[in-house]
Amino acid sequence: MNYFAVVDCDNCYVSCERVFRPDLNGKPVVVLSNNDGCVVARSNEAKKLGIKAGTPYFKLSQQFPDQKIAVFSSNYELYGDLTGRVMAIIQQEAPDYFRYSTDEAFVILRGMENVDLKVWGEQLHKTIRQRVGIPVSIGIAPTKTLAKMASHYAKHYAGYNHCCLIDDDEKRKKALKLYPIDEVWGIGRRYAARLENLGIHTAFDFAERNREWINATFNKVVVLRTWRELNGEDCVPNDEPAKKKSICVSRSFPGMINDIDQLKTYIANYAARCSEKLRKQNTLASVVGVFLGTNPFREDLEQYHTFGEVNLLTPSNSSIVILKKAMEALEKIYRPGLQYKRAGVIVLSMESGGGIQTNFIDFDAERFEKMKELDKVLDRLNKVNGTETVILGAQQFMGRNSKGKATQFADAIKHDFKSPNYTTRWSDIIELR
Amino acid sequence: MSLEYNLFFSVAKMKSITILDSGFEKELKLQIAPELRAGFPSPAEEYLHDSLDFNRDLIKHPEATFYGRVCGDSMIEAGINDGDIAVIDKSREPHNGSIVVAFINNEFTIKYLDTTHKDEGYIELRPANPKYKPIRIDQTDDFEVWGVVVYTIKPWN
Repeated sequence: MNYFAVVDCDNCYVSCERVFRPDLNGKPVVVLSNNDGCVVARSNEAKKLGIKAGTPYFKLSQQFPDQKIAVFSSNYELYGDLTGRVMAIIQQEAPDYFRYSTDEAFVILRGMENVDLKVWGEQLHKTIRQRVGIPVSIGIAPTKTLAKMASHYAKHYAGYNHCCLIDDDEKRKKALKLYPIDEVWGIGRRYAARLENLGIHTAFDFAERNREWINATFNKVVVLRTWRELNGEDCVPNDEPAKKKSICVSRSFPGMINDIDQLKTYIANYAARCSEKLRKQNTLASVVGVFLGTNPFREDLEQYHTFGEVNLLTPSNSSIVILKKAMEALEKIYRPGLQYKRAGVIVLSMESGGGIQTNFIDFDAERFEKMKELDKVLDRLNKVNGTETVILGAQQFMGRNSKGKATQFADAIKHDFKSPNYTTRWSDIIELR
Repeated sequence: MSLEYNLFFSVAKMKSITILDSGFEKELKLQIAPELRAGFPSPAEEYLHDSLDFNRDLIKHPEATFYGRVCGDSMIEAGINDGDIAVIDKSREPHNGSIVVAFINNEFTIKYLDTTHKDEGYIELRPANPKYKPIRIDQTDDFEVWGVVVYTIKPWN
């Protein structure tokens, strides 16, 4: 039987900042979202203080006036470099691995029958800790869903020494009993609510139901699969967690917005992020969707939550193309006179960037190649000089003059508390006294 | 001094690494391979070998390697000057006499590590300049060496 390990960086962004700020160990630290909007990462001390993920930055000082909290703007360049190092170590130490997200990887522990997996995991933690300076938690179990659960225990209980191994039925049952159903990997919020209503509160309650009941109640392959995984049967394919079928970039606005031009600027930025991500994983989108919503907490205002999509005849990952399609989708769903609070761009149906199926009516080979070159230059410039050095005008558009020509542009994105790029710029390396 | 020089002699099997400053190309590419031509093969072809490459050959643990800029003259007698770039390997175990980077009083410092008095309950970070005093660290539990300096790079011109 194969075992799986989940390796997960603890409070990843905070841990990255602390590598170069050891003075912040043991102190409350938060990292803000893009544009310094709200809290996206918290140290354990910040969690203990009661700071919730998603707390808007301006509310922090109101809610915690007497606390010293270290605040950072997000520095994705730094996080990208350091997590890349973590992944490189996992690759060296593990027989077979795939990256699941920025800060998480799955390891397939093939051919390790004679290895003490608990010791292996603890050693991996130590190696990563020493070499990069980032703490990780490791969960090891016979299925990916159980491994994910084990990593949760490894993270939250010091007694596990950063590595929790589920290797017999007793340990499995004990872990299931203490695990809330809504935290189980693969159980969405929607299913969790339904399960709670049916009196199923823990992973154990769920796993102990019989197969017929699961099928009759949900009739969904994914739910049954999760049930099987919790019962120790490996059935999530190895490549599945990594294979992404959609990319989504969405945010809440700092205030509320009703002007379409302003919305377009946000959408343009989300679309640009999506296309960058597409290019990074060398895939193409064939559908670009935009969603838009008002503030659900303002019941006094008219509510409107909508989604619109546009098909691409020829799949693409070009910033210009994706951006344009996103604008079209926005125009389709936008209704004037409403106060919007949230928007997002989602791109679907990816195909590999290599062999594309072109639509001959739509396809202009010369233009396609030119766009590809342009995007390459764009990515290169932004890589060398920093994210968002060169952007499309629509990403900063703020208004037009009387002739309808775009003339006003916003200042660059806000990163007031950004740490230096210690590992990616010579100008920012640490100073040694 | 037990500074480790073994690095110089174990350059054979290393993998190439990605230079961290993205302004550079991935590695120096001095391509020696000539194009294949019809006719007699060049006798030099048998001796084809990759060019020397500092990043590939001197940096043992790229994922554990960080850089720092030296500020000040506290290590001047060790030949480390203001403005030098220190190559720091976090994976190395520090030894007595290692040149290390440590985080003390809210800053990174570069000094000799002196563990002679460890059994007496303290260690010292020693400068290489009589102008400065050694830093004594009593509670060795809290103290952590951030990394070991494996090279310094010095601009001469």
